Amino acid sequence: MEALSELLKEYALTTYSMKPNRLVIEIPRERVKDALKAIKEKYGDTGIYVSTIVGTDFPDKKQVRLDYYLVTHPDDNVYVLRTWLPREDPRVDSILDLFPGALSGECETHDLLGVVFEGNPFIKRGFFVPTDITSKGVFPLRKDSGV
Amino acid sequence: MAVDKVVEIPVSLEVPIGPQHPALHEPVMLKVYAEGEEVVKVEVNTGYNHRGVEKLTEKNSFYRNIFIVSRVCGICNIVHSDVYVRAVEQVMNIEPPRRAKYLRVLAMELERIHSHMIINAIMAEVLGYDTLFMYIMRDREKVMKAKEILTGNRVLGDYLMVGGVRRDLSEVDRERIKDVLVKLEPEVRKYVRVFEEDETIGKRLRGVGVVKPRDVTLHGLVGPTARGSGINIDARREGYDAYNEVPFNIIVRGDMDSWSRMMVRWHETIESINMCKYVLENLPSDGPAVPDETKLSRKFPVGEAFARVEAPRGELTYYVMSDGRQNPFRVKIRTPSFNNIINSGFSYIGYTIADVPVILTSYDPCISCMERAIVTDLRRGERKYIRFKDLSMGLK
Repeated sequence: MEALSELLKEYALTTYSMKPNRLVIEIPRERVKDALKAIKEKYGDTGIYVSTIVGTDFPDKKQVRLDYYLVTHPDDNVYVLRTWLPREDPRVDSILDLFPGALSGECETHDLLGVVFEGNPFIKRGFFVPTDITSKGVFPLRKDSGV
Repeated sequence: MAVDKVVEIPVSLEVPIGPQHPALHEPVMLKVYAEGEEVVKVEVNTGYNHRGVEKLTEKNSFYRNIFIVSRVCGICNIVHSDVYVRAVEQVMNIEPPRRAKYLRVLAMELERIHSHMIINAIMAEVLGYDTLFMYIMRDREKVMKAKEILTGNRVLGDYLMVGGVRRDLSEVDRERIKDVLVKLEPEVRKYVRVFEEDETIGKRLRGVGVVKPRDVTLHGLVGPTARGSGINIDARREGYDAYNEVPFNIIVRGDMDSWSRMMVRWHETIESINMCKYVLENLPSDGPAVPDETKLSRKFPVGEAFARVEAPRGELTYYVMSDGRQNPFRVKIRTPSFNNIINSGFSYIGYTIADVPVILTSYDPCISCMERAIVTDLRRGERKYIRFKDLSMGLK
């Protein structure tokens, strides 16, 4: 676990742990892709995979939080890369070219929460949110969406 | 008339498979583009079964959500409630007794047995072996009976609760479940032999839908799909519940094809039978498996947890966050089929249309689990094909 926090030392704003025993590394949004690139270079193609992407809306903070959950192979350690995006302009670089497996997570997070993954050509509204919701221009998982 | 233009038309046909199709058991649509018989592109369209479960959990209390999340999937409902309950327990700092942990493992492994049996039965049916389908389903019913003895229900167990399980296991019922497992094992071994030795099954499955280890991790594929390609990932290695005490082997095969994935499931079935027997013989008596519901805390501390479970289809993850109120602030569910089906569009290319249902079945799709996106998975650097429809508009 220490190896990865050491690797991301130059990118990390802060480091703490989430239950049960998951290392969380907070990274500024403009450096997310660089950090994941460094991780991929260290672990290689088969050494790590993107398990899931979790977006959470914080209207009080006027921010959207984005977590990338990474699992190493074969030792099954879970790491969390966390970044905060401004709620009014939730943009972040897509990691599709590094991890094609992020496709489902990025598309879902865009459609539900409005996060724009720059460089992902497949994101669009109505990916699975029905048209009666998308036509209102709201994102269902935003706390003030009224859905 | 002189010919001044030669048009070379690559014959590309669009074949929609689903959402209602004899080869599919659940509502998913594979839009297959084929040149002759060869598949050149597959778009996976889902969203026919979206229910907004994550939003629903934000509107209900932590305890009521146990019943909501177990309805995400019919087949693997206990793993859903287990992983959610464990995340809530971590937020609340509750540790269930060992007896409850053992019973959870028993319930989840029974679920793995019947889930692996149903997908192997469906594979037999897809291959045209309807009688084999019937035989496997007949024997699967025995496991459903065992699950009923344990949880009270054949399908939806609703077995988990914060701090333990809902029903304890009596000595009589313990023997009844053991009896079911003893009778089941030779039947499963028979089916393993059929899948190993039958020439037709081999011809339909071997070398079909090859997924290289590199593609598994890059595309985030999990479970038997990953282990069938030599990638040794299994969330049970974390040792949650009683998996740190119950001995088991992780089945990994390196053939990388559809057959490899089905054989991983068959051998995991045998492994699960042994695990269930171990649990029944070594059930601890350290404390009440069923906690007193009236004494459970109605206050939830601020906190977050990320729990993983090895569902029959692969790694299932739940993120649960509490802001101190009665309802969770955020619950994020990522099911194995969400990765395995949406991200696997690349693996159909180069095979024939008849192979498409076989490859899809080998990923063990669970659409009600996935219930999410209409996603297009395009081949990188794809060639442009002129479709007949476009051709009729006239050449420019």
